[in-house]
Amino acid sequence: MSQTAIAQADWGGGASPFGVTWQKMMMWFFIVTDALLFAGLLVSYGVVRIATGDWPAQSEVFSLTYIAAMTFVLITSSATMACGVKAAELGRPARAAQFVWATIVGGFLFLGMQAYEWTHFIQDGGGLLSNPWGSPTFSQFFFIITGFHGFHVLTGVTVLLVVAIRAAMGRYSPAGVENAGLYWHFVDLVWVFVFALFYLV
Amino acid sequence: MSSDAHPYRFYWILWIVLLAVTLLMIAIEGANLPAALAVAVLLFGSAIKATLIIFYYMHLKFEHLGLILTVLVGLFVTAILMFVLPAYDGGHILDSFRSLEGYSG
Repeated sequence: MSQTAIAQADWGGGASPFGVTWQKMMMWFFIVTDALLFAGLLVSYGVVRIATGDWPAQSEVFSLTYIAAMTFVLITSSATMACGVKAAELGRPARAAQFVWATIVGGFLFLGMQAYEWTHFIQDGGGLLSNPWGSPTFSQFFFIITGFHGFHVLTGVTVLLVVAIRAAMGRYSPAGVENAGLYWHFVDLVWVFVFALFYLV
Repeated sequence: MSSDAHPYRFYWILWIVLLAVTLLMIAIEGANLPAALAVAVLLFGSAIKATLIIFYYMHLKFEHLGLILTVLVGLFVTAILMFVLPAYDGGHILDSFRSLEGYSG
């Protein structure tokens, strides 16, 4: 079998390219393009940070313990989501719904913690054009990067609410849970890099 | 990957591993390593976490090779375009920033 033939057999086309539903394939395509968006934001942040002299020490602006707690919440919600997808795959809708609700709680908790972090930052004098700790560019990247990520979390929570409510109405599909799960894990994946590059480096 | 008796165990083991890597990264941040080394180690830690999430939580490991390559090559090209090209051209980018009137950096 030539390489082209192998590639064509793997693709398959039609309603289930690559042996998955087209919905799942398109979710993966979306995730790759969305990763581009965040890579762009993080790289521009890196270049501007190097070019800017008075970049503040993050530990003076934020509580690293608090950011670590936010990370803990998001990783935990990813674990409950993975369990939810597994339960759906095993044909246990009630258990899957429980895990999805747990994930939703985690998502709201993260959003609440982020809202508190933003409030704190703004009350301390941080704004789009002001930063008491150094370059205002820091504030701009803080609001844009964590804002974009937070909006993704909000979208994820909305999608999961739709999945959970549909499950409660008996309109439940394991494939739907899986696709929502893919998106949720991606949100966690982005935070891995935001956490490392914006808060730790 | 996960036994029938404990279908969720694997995901919680992975959860512990992800938390452990996160704690290690926080410890490295506090260890006052040289900046370049700290960035390299933190990026490596992030790559480990990302790989575990993509391959196991997102099940990419169990998909067709075609889908795996589509995603990984897509992300790899993303990384090349986003990191290597600006780094290669970084000097010019920084110079153009510094030449901005009133720029204080």
